[in-house]
Amino acid sequence: MSCSEVDLNAYLLGESPAAERPRVEAHLRSCGACHDELERMKATQAALLALPDEEPPQRIAFVSDKVFEPRWYQAIWRSGPAMGFASAALLAAAIVVHGFAAGVSPAPKVDAAQMEQRIEREVNQRVEAAVTKAVSDAETRQNREVANVLETAEKHYAAQREADLSAAQQTIAYYEKKMNRWLVASNEEVRLGQ
Amino acid sequence: MIFREVEDRDLIAKARRGNVDAYNVLVSRWEKRVFNYLLRMVRQREDAMDLSQDVFLKAYQNLRKLDDPARFPGWLFRIAHNEAYSLLRKNRPEGELTMEPGTGSQTARMFPMELSLAVQGALSRLSDDQREAVLLKVYQGFKFDEMAEILECPVSTVKSRVYTALDLLKQTLAPAVARETAGGTE
Repeated sequence: MSCSEVDLNAYLLGESPAAERPRVEAHLRSCGACHDELERMKATQAALLALPDEEPPQRIAFVSDKVFEPRWYQAIWRSGPAMGFASAALLAAAIVVHGFAAGVSPAPKVDAAQMEQRIEREVNQRVEAAVTKAVSDAETRQNREVANVLETAEKHYAAQREADLSAAQQTIAYYEKKMNRWLVASNEEVRLGQ
Repeated sequence: MIFREVEDRDLIAKARRGNVDAYNVLVSRWEKRVFNYLLRMVRQREDAMDLSQDVFLKAYQNLRKLDDPARFPGWLFRIAHNEAYSLLRKNRPEGELTMEPGTGSQTARMFPMELSLAVQGALSRLSDDQREAVLLKVYQGFKFDEMAEILECPVSTVKSRVYTALDLLKQTLAPAVARETAGGTE
């Protein structure tokens, strides 16, 4: 690095790029002229900074003047973050109110597989119920018919039995009467024989 | 430093909403720097004080135009620069100032020490642009790009003014610096 490439002012004023500073410092170690020049610049800067700051002769202060103060709506309107926050809060409140007022209705889910399973299950239930009902009706009807047949048969057998009993009784009564007549006839013969 | 910057932002935000007390706190933090900048520019105590009040009044009136509160220092010194040059042009419309060092009883009382007088004289020999460049760079610590915004000129112009002014000051102050150095080593 030659002397013409070294910006001692920028280095002294802190404006040199960070990557440049080590190269300037290396040059300063090897170049006595630049080293002396930098020392003179530092001395000049130190002399400048020896000039003391003055205190202002009086403090500057402002008083509140209602004429120049913004009105309340101007203050709100000019407050960007506050307006943004208020808008966001209003929007959030509107969403909440709408949610409570309208009720939350979940979106219908269309699932073909589930729907098919549901239909199949429903059909099976209905077929099973119909079959069960038909079987039950058939059994009931059959039981009723069997009962009627049995009842008819019983009535028939009862009548037959009564008829047989009556015939038997009539037969018994016939033979009793016949026997009685034989007894009476025999007794007459005996009595007539005596 | 960061904490202080945040506080300034808060004060600026309150001042924007019309809080005068917050603005007065902000003024109290910056009035000394602004006053000394103006004092070394116009070199009259009363003028510097009047200009300082004008600067802070205009800053308050235009605070809502400040886009980024972090840029408040440069923005404030931009107003101070305009005020200083407005007065300098009014007092000396013909151009550059050629003020003699140490003129006026006020300035003589302001900087009693010999080195301070020498510095004040050396600064007075600079042009307004050069002197302002030194004030903003050496005394106020602004970066070149910040100075370019304050002065509304290219960075290259700023660097040129600063380098030329420092070179002139080095030559002008060489005897005083040598005496100071010799005195310090005795």
